[in-house]
Amino acid sequence: MAYLELSHINKFFAENQVVYDFNLSAQQGEFISFLGPSGCGKTTTLRMIAGFELPSSGTILLDGKDLTNVSPNKRNVGMVFQSYALFPNMSVADNIGYGLMVAGKSKAEIKQRVEEMLALIHLEEYGKRYPARLSGGQQQRVALARALAIRPHVLLLDEPLSALDAKIRVELRQEIRRIQQQLGITTIYVTHDQEEALSISDRIVVMNQGKIEQIGSSSEIYNFPQTEFVAQFVGQINLLPVTVVNPSEGVVKIGQQVVKAGQFGHLNGKPVRLAVRPEELNIGYREGANNLTGNVDAVAYLGSIVRIRLNIEGHSVSVDVFNERKLTIPTIGDPYQVTFPVDACWLI
Amino acid sequence: MKTKKMNFWGLSWAIIALLYFFVPLYGTLDFSLRMQRGHLSLMAYKVVLSDPQFLDSFRYSATMGLITIVVSACIFLPTIYWMYLKAPQARPLVEIITILPFIIPVIVFTFGLIRTFSGPPFQLTATPFKTDILITVGYVIVSMPYMYRAIDVGMRSIDVRGLTEAAQSLGSSWFQILTKVIFPNLRVAVLNGALICFATVIGELILGDFLVRPALGPYMVQVGRDSAYQPAAMAMLSWGLTWVCLGVIQLFGRGNTSQEIFSR
Repeated sequence: MAYLELSHINKFFAENQVVYDFNLSAQQGEFISFLGPSGCGKTTTLRMIAGFELPSSGTILLDGKDLTNVSPNKRNVGMVFQSYALFPNMSVADNIGYGLMVAGKSKAEIKQRVEEMLALIHLEEYGKRYPARLSGGQQQRVALARALAIRPHVLLLDEPLSALDAKIRVELRQEIRRIQQQLGITTIYVTHDQEEALSISDRIVVMNQGKIEQIGSSSEIYNFPQTEFVAQFVGQINLLPVTVVNPSEGVVKIGQQVVKAGQFGHLNGKPVRLAVRPEELNIGYREGANNLTGNVDAVAYLGSIVRIRLNIEGHSVSVDVFNERKLTIPTIGDPYQVTFPVDACWLI
Repeated sequence: MKTKKMNFWGLSWAIIALLYFFVPLYGTLDFSLRMQRGHLSLMAYKVVLSDPQFLDSFRYSATMGLITIVVSACIFLPTIYWMYLKAPQARPLVEIITILPFIIPVIVFTFGLIRTFSGPPFQLTATPFKTDILITVGYVIVSMPYMYRAIDVGMRSIDVRGLTEAAQSLGSSWFQILTKVIFPNLRVAVLNGALICFATVIGELILGDFLVRPALGPYMVQVGRDSAYQPAAMAMLSWGLTWVCLGVIQLFGRGNTSQEIFSR
């Protein structure tokens, strides 16, 4: 039986439905990310788990108990906010010990737990400081420690790294994952950053317009997207309009160039597009693989990779090439040939 | 060159503003010290401070001022907090309501109070105690724009929703959220509002006069009619009192505001 179970959750704000029939089963100790664009309903769903919003219909079960209508202060759910929401009138230690204090724990117990939490977030020397005297990253660590100090059943994180700069974000997301694994706490993490979700999650729930598009592990989401939205939202992808030549074998034409798709469903006459990730495309020609020819439109340096944009039969196609010193950069307008395996592309 | 010119004009305006403020103040101070002919003395202050009616009226107004502060804080803090949390769209309407005391003259408002509450079913002018209840309500309404604005500014400076939800997720009841998280972070704002509230009540004339209560405002008017130097001394005393209040705000607004759950 699942530890956290959301069944048929719907949420309306007045006439506007923001979450549609949301179903999710999370195992104990699992790290699940809700990934999607702004306004897709991921934060609303998280807030329903926290109790800040009530579902219009559906149930939320935690360890078999119905939490649907339980008030937020009775759920024992730890929450970390994008804005940190540290209490400005309290020191770091008092912030961390606050939940234990309102629970009526003894001073000795609070002190011990606060010290444990400070050690966990590597801020042992900062107990007496006030939030205003901490950096953004430190404040978010304190917010995490405060949420964990009460030993919550579930940890909820609402875009906790959005307000931080890129380097701190990467460090802190690894820190969050380390602490989550160390404590074995069931965690729901809301983000619109696909890299963040892919790098730390056991499973990802991709959402769009209030609906679940796909639930799966990072590799399932990235390598086997089930919908066009997931394919486009997670990572870069080339989507090329094609004409079906042989529906039973997945053979299609891009302009005058023939390509065979690795995965294809029933091609029932709807407009079809060929999907292939930029990193699956290689420079050159290979016998038995798909091969396409075009002209170089643009070249962009992205650090470890170089993204070459080709014009193939009037369509824009991105090709990612690992950057290395000996790499010859193509000139704009040059003819260019790329190859990719049959099983690296699919039809949408 | 341009900067120097701007500095000159800036400095000139600053000097003019300071003179505008301090010359009348100096004049009042100087006048208050000339009760005894021929030399400066504190005689006017001695006369004021030794007048039992002054002390009574000051005590009365100060007490009413403190009661007004407590009642205002008890009404406006939870109301504004709730508005920020649950009904932010109501803010424009609330703002209009809070500036009504500026629009409706106090004398009109006072007559309204007297006509409404001098007979059944809510007769609040029959005894001094009941009249004090009525005058407190009047003071709360007259000082409402100041108290509301001070608390509103304080609320804007903190993340009300975030702090509330964080405290809720940590197991706090509403009472704990208000007393341990929200109010401690509004302390300076409430003190600011309290100072203005206190100053308004201390100087208020019409409510005290028409409800026939021994307030400081009517007393000062009466002394002003009968004497020359004492009103100047009282003006200086009330000015000094304002600075004392500002000092108190500075004192309470600084320093450690922690709840000190435990000592480390």
